[in-house]
Amino acid sequence: MAISIADLSKEELFGQGHAGCGGCGAAVAGRQAMKALGSRTIITIPASCMATLGGSNLKTTWQIPFYHTLFEMAPAVSSGIRAALEAQGIEDVNVVSWAGDAGTADIGFQSLTGAAERNEHMIHVCYDNEMYMNTGGQTGSQTPMYAITSNMSKGKAVKKKNMLAIMQAHEIDYVASASIAYPLDLIAKFKKAAEKPGFSYIHILAPCHRGWQIPAEKTIEYARLAVESGLFELYEVDEGVRNRTFEPTFIPVADYLTTQGRFKHLTSEQVVKLQKSINVYYGRGGDEE
Amino acid sequence: MVKNLPVVPTAKAGSLVETPTGITWRIQYPEILANCNICLECTLFCPDGAIVQQEGKLVLTLKLCKGCGICANECEENAIQMIPEYSGVKGVFR
Ligand SMILES: Cc1ncc(C[n+]2csc(CCOP(=O)(O)OP(=O)(O)O)c2C)c(N)n1
Ligand code: SF4
Ligand code: SF4
Ligand code: SF4
Ligand SMILES: [Mg+2]
Repeated sequence: MAISIADLSKEELFGQGHAGCGGCGAAVAGRQAMKALGSRTIITIPASCMATLGGSNLKTTWQIPFYHTLFEMAPAVSSGIRAALEAQGIEDVNVVSWAGDAGTADIGFQSLTGAAERNEHMIHVCYDNEMYMNTGGQTGSQTPMYAITSNMSKGKAVKKKNMLAIMQAHEIDYVASASIAYPLDLIAKFKKAAEKPGFSYIHILAPCHRGWQIPAEKTIEYARLAVESGLFELYEVDEGVRNRTFEPTFIPVADYLTTQGRFKHLTSEQVVKLQKSINVYYGRGGDEE
Repeated sequence: MVKNLPVVPTAKAGSLVETPTGITWRIQYPEILANCNICLECTLFCPDGAIVQQEGKLVLTLKLCKGCGICANECEENAIQMIPEYSGVKGVFR
C-alpha cells in the first residue's frame, strides 16, 4: 500500500533545534525514520555526528528516550534494552541502534555482528556519510574508492566494503538500503523492519555536504544522483527474498561524481571504469575490465 | 544490600526546540510563494523540522531554520525563494 505524506505522523520526534550543521543529511535521515517508527521507540547512538546533534545531558532535540553509548556498543546496549523490556512484559516498543558508517562497519562492527547473529528483536541503522565526520572526515571502510578525505589527500586506494551484503549473510529478518532522497521508500522500509520479530538492518545513504565538498542545499540532490546513476541501489532482502525497490534512470555516473569536491581529481579513465562496472552490474552491456 | 542508583542528569525531552542552535548562523531564509501546491515534499527534506505540515497546511517556523536552502533546491514548483538576511534596505536579521 502506498504511503502519502499527508497521512504521516505530524509528531516531530527528532530534529527541531538540533545541534548539527545546516543541511545535514544525517538529520534528514533521522526525521524521516522517526515518521515511521513513532513515539514508542528507544534509540541508542554511539559517538558520531548524530549523537552530537542529538544534544547533551542538559538539552536534547529527541522527544523519545535517546541513549548516547560508547563507540563500540550501540547494538549491544539495544540488546540489553530489549531484554529489560521483555522482562517487564513490554511489547509495543521499537528498539533501535543508530550509528554512522564507522560506528556500524568499522569500530562498532563486533557488537553489530553479535546482535545480528543472536537475531535480537531490534533494528540497526547505518546512516552512511562515507567518512568519519564527527572527528573531521577521515577515511573508513565505507569511504568509496578514490574519494579524498582529511587524512587521504590523494584519495582512497581500495573499494568500499559492502555492508549490506555482509548483513545479508547473517540471514537476519530484514536488510534494506535507503536514500534520504526517497523518503517514502525509506519510511516503508522502516515500517516493515518494525514488524519483524528479529533483527533488521537498514543502510541509509545520507550525504554530508562538508565531507563531500558539495553545496549544503544539494544534500538531497546528491543522495538522488547516487541512486539514479545506479551507483547506490535501492533494494531490500525480506526474509531472504531480494527485491529492487526503485529502478534507476541511469544518468551518467560522472554527473554524480565529478561535481563533488572529494572526487574533483578523478581522471576520465577512472570515471569510465566506474561507469562500466555499473553497466555490467545492471546487465546493460559492456565488459568489466 | 540494596543500593540506591545514582540520579543521572537527563535533558528534558525536546528542550533544544526552545533554544534552537543554528538560527544565528543563518545567512539566508526561505519564503514560501503563492504557487506552493502543498505537495508536502519539503517537510520530509528539511533537516531541522522548520517546515512541517499542520492541518493540511505548510507551516514555516523561522526560529528553527538554519537557512540551508534544501527546501528551495528540492521544491519542484519553485515555490520557495531564499532571501539574504543582510542585504538591501530590508536586510535585518529576523
Ligand atoms: C573508541 C573510540 N574511538 C574513537 C572515538 C572518536 N570518534 C568519535 S566520533 C568518530 C567518527 C564517527 O564516524 P561515523 O560513525 O561515520 O559517524 P559520523 O560522525 O560520520 O556521522 C570517532 C573516530 C571515540 N569516541 N571512541
Ligand atoms: S559534519 Fe556532516 S554529518 Fe556532521 S553534522 Fe555536519 S553535515 Fe551533518
Ligand atoms: S515542496 Fe514546494 S510545492 Fe511542495 S509543499 Fe514544499 S513549497 Fe509547496
Ligand atoms: S532553509 Fe533548510 S532549515 Fe530552513 S526551512 Fe529550508 S530546508 Fe529547512
Ligand atoms: Mg560517517
